[in-house]
Amino acid sequence: MAGGKSTTKEILQAKLAGRERVPLYNPEALARLRREFDHWRDTAVREQDRENWYATPHTILGSDIPREMLYTPLNNSDLDYTQDLGNSGQEPFTRGIHANMYRGREFTMRQLTGFGGPEDTNKRMKFMLEHGATGLNPLFDLPTIQMYDSDDPISRGQVGMSGVAIDSVEDMDLLFKDIPLDEVTVSLVTHYPSNTAILFPMYLAMAERRGISWDKLRGSVQNDITLEEVVRSGPEYIPPEDCFRIQCDNIEFIRGNVPQWNFITLNGYNLREFGTSGITEMAVAVANGIESVEEMLRRGHNVDWIAERLAFFWSPASDFFEEVARIRAVRRLWYKIMKYRFDARSARSLWMRCHVQTSGVSLMRQEPLNNIIRAAYHALSAVFGGAQSLHVDSYDEAYSVPTEEAALLSLRTQQIIQAETGVTEVVDPLGGSFYVEALTNDIEARILDEVDEIERLGGYVAAIGKGWVHRKIADYFSREQSMIERGDIKLVGYNVYKAHGELPPIEVFQYPQGVEERQKARLAKLRERRDNEKVNSALAALGEACNRKKNVVPYTVDCARAGCSEGEIFKVFKQAYGLWRPPVLW
Amino acid sequence: MKGKVKVLLSKLGLDVHNRGIITVARGLRDAGMEVIYIGNSLPEEIIKAAIQEDADVIGVSSLGGAHLTLGSELIAEAKREGLKDQIIFVMGGVFSPADAEKLRQIGFDGVFLPGATRQEIVSAIRQFVSVKG
Repeated sequence: MAGGKSTTKEILQAKLAGRERVPLYNPEALARLRREFDHWRDTAVREQDRENWYATPHTILGSDIPREMLYTPLNNSDLDYTQDLGNSGQEPFTRGIHANMYRGREFTMRQLTGFGGPEDTNKRMKFMLEHGATGLNPLFDLPTIQMYDSDDPISRGQVGMSGVAIDSVEDMDLLFKDIPLDEVTVSLVTHYPSNTAILFPMYLAMAERRGISWDKLRGSVQNDITLEEVVRSGPEYIPPEDCFRIQCDNIEFIRGNVPQWNFITLNGYNLREFGTSGITEMAVAVANGIESVEEMLRRGHNVDWIAERLAFFWSPASDFFEEVARIRAVRRLWYKIMKYRFDARSARSLWMRCHVQTSGVSLMRQEPLNNIIRAAYHALSAVFGGAQSLHVDSYDEAYSVPTEEAALLSLRTQQIIQAETGVTEVVDPLGGSFYVEALTNDIEARILDEVDEIERLGGYVAAIGKGWVHRKIADYFSREQSMIERGDIKLVGYNVYKAHGELPPIEVFQYPQGVEERQKARLAKLRERRDNEKVNSALAALGEACNRKKNVVPYTVDCARAGCSEGEIFKVFKQAYGLWRPPVLW
Repeated sequence: MKGKVKVLLSKLGLDVHNRGIITVARGLRDAGMEVIYIGNSLPEEIIKAAIQEDADVIGVSSLGGAHLTLGSELIAEAKREGLKDQIIFVMGGVFSPADAEKLRQIGFDGVFLPGATRQEIVSAIRQFVSVKG
């Protein structure tokens, strides 16, 4: 490895080599099985099946991993139960991070909500809570996500669409009106490191105003460079090095000041939806995680201090068993990395905790009700994989943000799995399946190989700068489109089993009227009412901190307290760091 | 009709999703068209760029809900510049069939809903261009 530094794969190979294995299967039984299997294959299996023994499922976002017709103990002949699986809640955590899994704690039902102004989304969040949601997941509109104020000329015609408009701490307060912050768990979909450093402080300032101490707050932010620099299209970007530094600033500040908050949910979902396989999705998130841990060590922190709260965010899609196997695979791989590469001591540090969102890109516009079934299978695979928290995409995904009815159906999908199927009564029910264990092993190796590739490029941030990630994605989604158009990827109601004639249209969500005007009016009033001297000095202090490469978050918290708007804070980042042009994708 | 068809592509407003537009850009290029992609832009920027580039077609992508607001601004701006009859306007993205119809009424020549193939888009553009002459 260039520079003398070992890659994670090399470290793991060195540390794990020579461990004594105690094979589960009796060698005599295996030998007999080998003979019988070969005989069966030659006599009972049709020649056509022998010749096509491997079949490759082709799905949207699939990995094209070939599958055998039948799996037996021979596929995992040296299985050592204790080393490879363990019981649930036991190293290597293949079977789950807790011994009792869903018996002890149901997966959090955390549906995304976001549209209109803060008061509109507040209503929908309350609706979801009233109907049994156990977590909140507010999503912001495009101006807010891209870090522009609602009254910025660049935001016109887009305020309150596909998410909620939030400009300041006061909007945050309206968003959470009558919602007890110390009782709910809130995943703020802040996406980017820059945005996390802008919006989360507004949440914290709001908590202060309500007299709620930060140690009572529970929830998460995404805070992921992947979202800011790779996955999104936007008019302005800061350079990857500065973005990564802010990611680590967020981790450091939140870990130190908001102890129950998940300061990063490694992506994951959005990268895969942009267009990659489930393997690359996980390799990127793992590489990002490794680099973040390394940076925190460089900053003088203890590995357990950060690792105990690291979390991941995946996208279960249509290849059912691949989805189950890969969550188990990455859980085992992350354990190995935290234990053997980073010498983490705390049990919590070894857990791959994750939220999942079922794949949106796998849903179709044609015959939208089919998506209810698709999303149900996606959700079920994640439950079999052992995810901690779920969002199920709604059937009208290809039309607009969900109607109330569609959002409720998504919630019911989760509740039916939990309350009616009985699958949550048994931990890791697919564990021990010859197929699932073989696939878990295969996928773990593939993920680690891609992590290795990223590390050999100089690490994840370097891979972004070099355009490696962008190109890999663009090649993937172009190829996937060809496969869809050729019919290699079959989609019911779209290119197979097509209905004749038109089906009745579905009800489509209508945005509330007048959102942009209301937001602009609020902002105008805020700018008048607030102490603009405090605002200016807070922004100036932030600029100074940026230039000195100090942790920016204490300064953005001051900005939030003073009533700075989002756009005002982002402007400081842009001025301090300059703009970066991302790699061209075609 | 002069040489290659020149298509100016843009994300409409602040929409973050560019997987579709990149797929279309590649598809149009592979079909022999000249493609310029200007990233996230507002209507007046798109029209300005189309004039500068002497584009035959303007294609915009919107998955963020602003298709009617910014889409109608784009057409209005084109009319203000006297370009509406000279340039083909197409839009793709996420919106309902009902909104797609509204977009056609506003003045978009072609509107592509989720699931449209590259071939459909290429054929439609060629058709529009040949009719406009």
